[in-house]
Amino acid sequence: MSATALIDRDDDRIADAPAGRFGRSAKPLRDLTEAEFRGRYGSDQFTMTMLASRFRYVMKHMSTGLLNTAFSMILRDWYDFAATLSGPPEMDYAMSTGSDSMLMFMGTMPDGVRNTIEEFGPENLQPGDMILANDPYRVGLHVNDVAFIRPLFHQGKLVSFLAFRAHQLDIGGIVPAGFSATKQNVYETGLVISPTLIYRDNKPVKSAFNLIFDNARYCAMLLPDIKSINQALKLGEQLLAETIERYGIEAYLGAIRYSCDVAADAMREAIRTRIPDGVYEGEDVIDADGMDDRFAYKVKVAITKAGENLEIDFSGTSAQARTSVNCSPLDVKATVGVALKMLIEQDTPFASGAYRNIDIVMPPATICSATPPDGPVFIYWEALSAVFASVYRALAPVLGEDAVAGDFGSLMVHNANGLRKDGTPWVTAAQCGGEHGPWGASKAGDGDSYNVLQILNNIDPAIEAIESDTPVVVLRRDYVADSAGAGFNRGGAAVVKDTLWLSDAEHSTIGPMHARLPAGSGVNGGTDGSGQASWVFPPEAFDVAAERALLPVDPAIYARSEPMGGMFDPETKQADPNGDYVYFAKEKTLRTSPGTFLRYTTGGGGGWGDPLTRDPERVKNDVRDEYVSIEGAYRDYGVIVRGDPANHPEKLVVDMEATKQRREELIAARAA
Amino acid sequence: MDLGSSTFAPEVRQERKPVTEAALREAGVDLARDFPGATIDEFREYPVLSEGGWFIVIKHQPTLRTVSRKPWRLLGPVTLLTEGLDFD
Repeated sequence: MSATALIDRDDDRIADAPAGRFGRSAKPLRDLTEAEFRGRYGSDQFTMTMLASRFRYVMKHMSTGLLNTAFSMILRDWYDFAATLSGPPEMDYAMSTGSDSMLMFMGTMPDGVRNTIEEFGPENLQPGDMILANDPYRVGLHVNDVAFIRPLFHQGKLVSFLAFRAHQLDIGGIVPAGFSATKQNVYETGLVISPTLIYRDNKPVKSAFNLIFDNARYCAMLLPDIKSINQALKLGEQLLAETIERYGIEAYLGAIRYSCDVAADAMREAIRTRIPDGVYEGEDVIDADGMDDRFAYKVKVAITKAGENLEIDFSGTSAQARTSVNCSPLDVKATVGVALKMLIEQDTPFASGAYRNIDIVMPPATICSATPPDGPVFIYWEALSAVFASVYRALAPVLGEDAVAGDFGSLMVHNANGLRKDGTPWVTAAQCGGEHGPWGASKAGDGDSYNVLQILNNIDPAIEAIESDTPVVVLRRDYVADSAGAGFNRGGAAVVKDTLWLSDAEHSTIGPMHARLPAGSGVNGGTDGSGQASWVFPPEAFDVAAERALLPVDPAIYARSEPMGGMFDPETKQADPNGDYVYFAKEKTLRTSPGTFLRYTTGGGGGWGDPLTRDPERVKNDVRDEYVSIEGAYRDYGVIVRGDPANHPEKLVVDMEATKQRREELIAARAA
Repeated sequence: MDLGSSTFAPEVRQERKPVTEAALREAGVDLARDFPGATIDEFREYPVLSEGGWFIVIKHQPTLRTVSRKPWRLLGPVTLLTEGLDFD
């Protein structure tokens, strides 16, 4: 079989197998003879490994180029893009390589590139072209996440596709910057672009740019961003052309195939050895869509493992939502890939071959497989987070100590816009809500407390950058004591973020969507993290200048607030998992006046292992660092810490005798 | 979980169709040889998303062994608003 032949599927596996007929394995790479290896990949193993590394270097180099030259904060400060390399049509667009950044972007591109190029027609491409597409049903994600694809030719023959999936600050639709859970159909989500030529002969296609800029806002930033993307793709093309020149086209294509086969081999082996045969079920809940709180939405998964194959069936998942909290099957595929990489296979880089032994069964028109025009997709990560949590929950019992606890599970993305005093518009997207929070614990240690969701992998915008672009002051990013799931390893702590708005503003309220069932599930004996919540404090509630203090976190302050979303005690307005549910989108657009505070508290990460086995010294350090209160140490860990953590944090001591007695009491209470 | 006045949106399930003997024959399956003791009722046909996109598969359900895997529509179950548009 030549290096450019179709990627092995069942038929090839059958042909390679030594005996029997159906369901046989491909021969693992390590079992290939030198001649077989060269016959399959067109070169030796050392060259293949080196070229695979070279591809990753090219993706990183392209990404660094875009990160350094992008103008919009969503690319510049969030790293909301990914670069990928795919093979030619005769290799079925196999994706060998992705960059280090946005996982969902990478995971949707194997199919996104295929769907885009097959519709445009590979025969219609020529050197110097750039094609774009952004339709969630064709390429996944949402309309702002545009796929920019550059074909790579060698001696007149199409040999690869370099691509960026990159968030555009605006792409039209009814909400500036787009982030909204209340859009009701595809006509409201923004401009849908079917595969379209935007550069030809390395020159802009003016009509294509006009199509975008006649529909999108903030074009003064979009134009240089797209030029930066084009330049970074050209850089990648130049580096890969040099690679082909040096190593030859056969080795180059062989390395694309090799990279995919490495991922396939590793995932197949992980499936075979890490998960016992059987059927495992999990589910998660999304509180409501953006229409009203009449419906909650369930994501259900049944994972069947047989031999070296996985079948992941989402039957039983709720019908598609009435507003833009849906996602598409390509997004689900990417999420399943991330979950499995996190849980069972961390040894190889992600490539499209990782799915060779995985079949996803996805009934149509669910919240995870929405269809146009009335199944709008925009806030896709909320449904995906439920997919991720469902897979984690399904596999936790069989993975034992390899299970990983849930993360904060819902971004509560904040989006706002307004006008400056001089009349120029401002916009902020995904900077001032609950976008960053904790991960769950694992056998490796405590969960990190400030990150994006595990399915994303972006970076955190600097406060200085936010405040320079937007009339807002970020006054608090802090951890919430006793919010983390307890365990031998503790979950990450929830994050409380306060923002003070300096001018009139319109806010889109996107969550909480995991208030009813917190996403941070504990595993292996660990406990769950806390739920999420958000509040508005109107200007009269608290005056920072007059009080000469930050908005307190003292529980009494919430009586002055208006809960935005979550579970609350109706009297005190404090977050309360047993309280009343407050629907997040009761006001589709929240209008605030100067001096208003918004407060977001993320969910907490789940714990790993029995909290009563955590070293008391680690618990004392958690009290010192304000992850855990003295009361929480007593209640959740059975550890008696004495001292004053606020004023004398280094003088805390553990009362070992009292701790031993307390833990014995807790163990006896469990048995009873 | 207490949903208060809310309810769950209706569940959706993927149908798995029974297969015919002719379909198994076309897939090259000889039940007695390849799946001793199995019956035709143990095979089902349904769409899956995997490496390479969407496929219609026929699988032996107790073992998940695939006997047929054919490429499906590029976008699987999604029907675009422009589908069927006749430019001529």
